[in-house]
Amino acid sequence: MRREPVLDVRRLHKSFVLHAVSDRTVVAFADINFTLTAGEHVALAGMSGAGKSSLLKSIYRTYRPDSGEVWLQIHAGEYVDMCSLSDAEIAAIRGHEIGYVSQFLRSEPRRGALEIVTRSARQRGMTDHDAREAAAAALQRVGIEERLWDVYASVLSGGEKQRVNLAAGTVHPPRLLLLDEPLSALDPENRERALALIASLTHRGVAVVSIFHDLEAIQRLASRVLVLEKGRLVAERSPDELDSRLASAAR
Amino acid sequence: MTTEVEYGRYPVARLAVPEWMLKVERLGRVYGPFDDAVIASTGPEVGSSKSALNGAVVAAWDVSFEVAAGEALGLVGESGSGKTTVLRCLAGDVAPSRGEARLRTAAGDVSMFELDPSARRRLRIDTLAVVYQDPAEGLKLNISAGGNIAEPLTAAGWRNFGNIRNRASELLTRTEVPINRMDDLVRGFSGGMKQRVQIAKALANSPSVVLFDEPTTGLDASVAAGVLDLIRSLLEEHRIAAIVVSHDFAVIEMLTSRCLVMQHGRVVENALTDQLLEDPHHPYTQRLVAAARS
Repeated sequence: MRREPVLDVRRLHKSFVLHAVSDRTVVAFADINFTLTAGEHVALAGMSGAGKSSLLKSIYRTYRPDSGEVWLQIHAGEYVDMCSLSDAEIAAIRGHEIGYVSQFLRSEPRRGALEIVTRSARQRGMTDHDAREAAAAALQRVGIEERLWDVYASVLSGGEKQRVNLAAGTVHPPRLLLLDEPLSALDPENRERALALIASLTHRGVAVVSIFHDLEAIQRLASRVLVLEKGRLVAERSPDELDSRLASAAR
Repeated sequence: MTTEVEYGRYPVARLAVPEWMLKVERLGRVYGPFDDAVIASTGPEVGSSKSALNGAVVAAWDVSFEVAAGEALGLVGESGSGKTTVLRCLAGDVAPSRGEARLRTAAGDVSMFELDPSARRRLRIDTLAVVYQDPAEGLKLNISAGGNIAEPLTAAGWRNFGNIRNRASELLTRTEVPINRMDDLVRGFSGGMKQRVQIAKALANSPSVVLFDEPTTGLDASVAAGVLDLIRSLLEEHRIAAIVVSHDFAVIEMLTSRCLVMQHGRVVENALTDQLLEDPHHPYTQRLVAAARS
């Protein structure tokens, strides 16, 4: 039996028009098509500038794609096209269904780690009390010590911020998890913890689209690799076929 | 890589989106006589909100949006873009030249611009509050903090002195104004403290809509941060529909989830706040964001 996709990206295009530079058009990516089922982890590979982060941001709709469709399953057998939703609908879907973990914590001013992660859990639809408990558990999972929970996140170290970010994105298993270099600032021990966390989420049925700069993470976590080159999807590989050159250079 | 599939292959889910609390349609305010030609002679393409035909100023035109309970909408733009005009029309300080603003109340939907002056004042007392940039607009400076807060309470029918005082002290505590300042004249308060009293007064009758006009402009950075934090937590506690007018993207990013960008009296772009900051489309928005990020 064919499994229904959680995510179906069709003919997605994104370009930027830079009005300050004589209205120059820069194509981020073009004609991207792929699907993803529950419990599947797709890694995006390619050189920097290939369009990987732009693709993740376009799926999350921080970037507004020029055309195409992004179908997301939100109940069994029911879908929305992220590209045709109103702003209010996107706001409602995002927090509830999608975890997005960027490389850098867009640290909200004057908020502590526990507050940030609790808010994220509340967006997932948890009650205040449950959200707080889930947030505490999520921070423990990524190894943030309790004495740091009420410290403004903006003053934490890069690695700590990254882990707070990961805790917020994974506090309650989302339907779709978007990871943009979520491990880049982590020491070996915390990296190991984060890898195990992501693997366990996939195991529990979370669909993941990721960007990792190292081959080891891709090979340990991903089930498929999509190779981007200059904004085009040029190949699909199994993680074993990937050599380090391909992971970073996609040639 | 995947086979081409037809549209509509997926059963489309209907999403539950919070319903609007305030809905503004085609709001306009023009200073001076106007017709279609005058309107067309202004705006971003022309580069001015003042008509070359007759000197009329089209301060705001064709502004439409909705805000739901628990949501904060930003109005962004440079001074003179029309954002404050929109806010003042909604506040009732300025009469709109055109458009409609509907407000959801316990007694049903109300067309705000069609209300008679007394009903309109009533709305300002218990349903729609405003926090002005200049505390002197929202407060009587020669009256005590407690007296300022008592004003909307007595207007809403509170009569018992003890109850009024209790409510005032509750509000001042919430807005972090020392209770021992309650009987001091607001005139003697610092800028940040005045703003906190203004916020306390605005919340007196638990309004469903609050309009913030540059609530932290002119305050020292650390004082502004404290007032912003207060507004942020109040918006999270109460299911208020808020409109935040600001030229400052830091304020907009912190408080709002959606924004309208205004230039020369027109809305040139509207989007989720993160979209405006990371993927601004309109040349004007790109300039504003670039300026804020440099």
